[in-house]
Order: sequence, then structure tokens, then C-alpha cells
Amino acid sequence: MDTSIAPTRSNLLKLKESLEFATLGHDLLDQKRTILVSELLRLVDQAVNYQDRMDAAMDKARKVLMRTVLEQGRLKTAQLSSAVNIQSDFELSERKVMGVRLPQVQTSFSGQGPFFSPEGTSILVENAIEAFREALELMGHLAELKVSIMRLAREVKKTVRKVNSLEKIVIPDQKQTLAYTSDRIEEAERENYILLKAVKKSLSEKRGGQ
Amino acid sequence: MKYFVIGDYDTVMGFSLVGVPGQIASDAAGASSAFDRALDDRQYGIIIITDEIADTIREKVDKYLFSESFPLIVEIPGPSRGGVSRDLHALVNQAIGVAL
Repeated sequence: MDTSIAPTRSNLLKLKESLEFATLGHDLLDQKRTILVSELLRLVDQAVNYQDRMDAAMDKARKVLMRTVLEQGRLKTAQLSSAVNIQSDFELSERKVMGVRLPQVQTSFSGQGPFFSPEGTSILVENAIEAFREALELMGHLAELKVSIMRLAREVKKTVRKVNSLEKIVIPDQKQTLAYTSDRIEEAERENYILLKAVKKSLSEKRGGQ
Repeated sequence: MKYFVIGDYDTVMGFSLVGVPGQIASDAAGASSAFDRALDDRQYGIIIITDEIADTIREKVDKYLFSESFPLIVEIPGPSRGGVSRDLHALVNQAIGVAL
């Protein structure tokens, strides 16, 4: 509570205004928090879904690769992998939720097969390429979601702190100051009133005595 | 923007089939140098790292995962993990202390 403010009517008005402002800010931040949290929950659900799919895709890709290696040897597979010139690129764009910048990843592949002679190579190599391509695409989305979640969560934390400090400290403090100031003003008014009464009484006594 | 993969031999080889460059790492020192190499090159926008390798340089990875905006980092389950990633809810919890 700030007791150093002079108890005047103009200060009282100022205090009322700043309390209104703080309440408005609190409402807005509260809304922001709600929106951020709902977005965060949505993204987490999505990310869990993508993660499951990515885990499955990676698992499959690993198994296919392992079979490829078993079938034609590690060296040959490694040699084939340098023959494959698929370029995997991604575009990074952004979207904004309540001023938080969230990345969006769009994976693209370029390069057309065949990259190697079908003679003496196993179909499993093609399968492995396909499986890893799938996994990579999922991974792009997963990266996007994970980073979005981290950033949103950080923003939620910040907003919660602001809401709490307004709710628990700033607003009660301002209410107290307001009450204190208006009490002081009322008290001064009463004092003034009594003083006037006393003056009036003494004046009328004087007149009556004459 | 390109992907970069850090992990065991098979993972790196698998991803090189789809045109993702990578570096094989098996211990903390190797992981650290691979990670630095990926960070130095601005063309790599997403770093894929197996969680076993990430665990060896956990501090460094978490720093980028939680605080830096770039590059994006994805951890994938390593071959010995049985193909299941760390729980995301737990990750968020750990990152910012917000329980979901």
C-alpha cells in the first residue's frame, strides 16, 4: 500500500483510473492465458500422435534397413546410399499465436529414380528408401510441433506469472491504497465539517452574548 | 534448409538413403563435435539425433531444445530403446514446470 500519496480528490481519480487499467490488463492477460493453454494442449495431443507415428515409421525403416544389410551386406548398402541422390529440403515458415512465433515445416524431396541398376540389388533398398522418406517427413512435423510446444509453454509460464502478480499483488495493493486515500479524504471532510460547526457555534454565541 | 542426422552407423546410413547428411557418433566427444559441426553450418535447420547420443551431451542438447530458437532439434529413439520416444508430457513438464 502506498501511503505517500497526498489524499486529494484528483489523486483519488488517478488511483481509480489505474485500478481500472490494472483490472483490464488482468482480464486481457487471463484471456491470453486461456487461448495459449488451449493451443498448447491441442499441439501436445497432435505431437503425441505424430510421435507415435514417427516411432512406428522409424521402427519399420530400421527393420527394412536391417534386412537390406543382411541381404546384400553393409558395404554395398553404404555404397548404394551414396549413389542415391535424393535431395531432402524443407521450407520453414511461421505462424503466430498471440504474438508467439511458431515454426511450420514443409518437407520436400527432389531427385527421381532409378539411382542404381536393378540388377544385383535388392528391392529392399527401394523399400528402405521409401520407409526413411516417410519417417523424415513425419520428423519435420514433429520438430515443428515440439518447438512450438516449447515456445508456447514458455509464453504460458510468462503470462501466468503476469496474471498472478496482477491478481495477487498489484490489484489488491491498489485497492488498499484507494480505500486508504478515500478514507483520508472523508476524514478530512468530517474534520472540516466539525471545524465549521465549531466556528459557527462560537460566532453565534458571540452574537448572542452581545 | 536441410536436415542433419547424428547417431549410430545404421541410422546415419538409413538417412543418407534419402539425402540427409549425417555424422556417426558413439560417445560424448564424438557427439559433441558432430553437434557443433551441425550448429556451425547455417544450412542445417533441423538436427535429428538419437536419444542415446543425445543423453551423452544432454546439457548441450537441452540448451538448444529449450532456449534457442534455431536450429530445431528432434530426438528419435535409438535402436536399443525399442523404438519408443520420451514421453512428451514429461518433457514439457521438465522444460517449463507446467503440468498438463
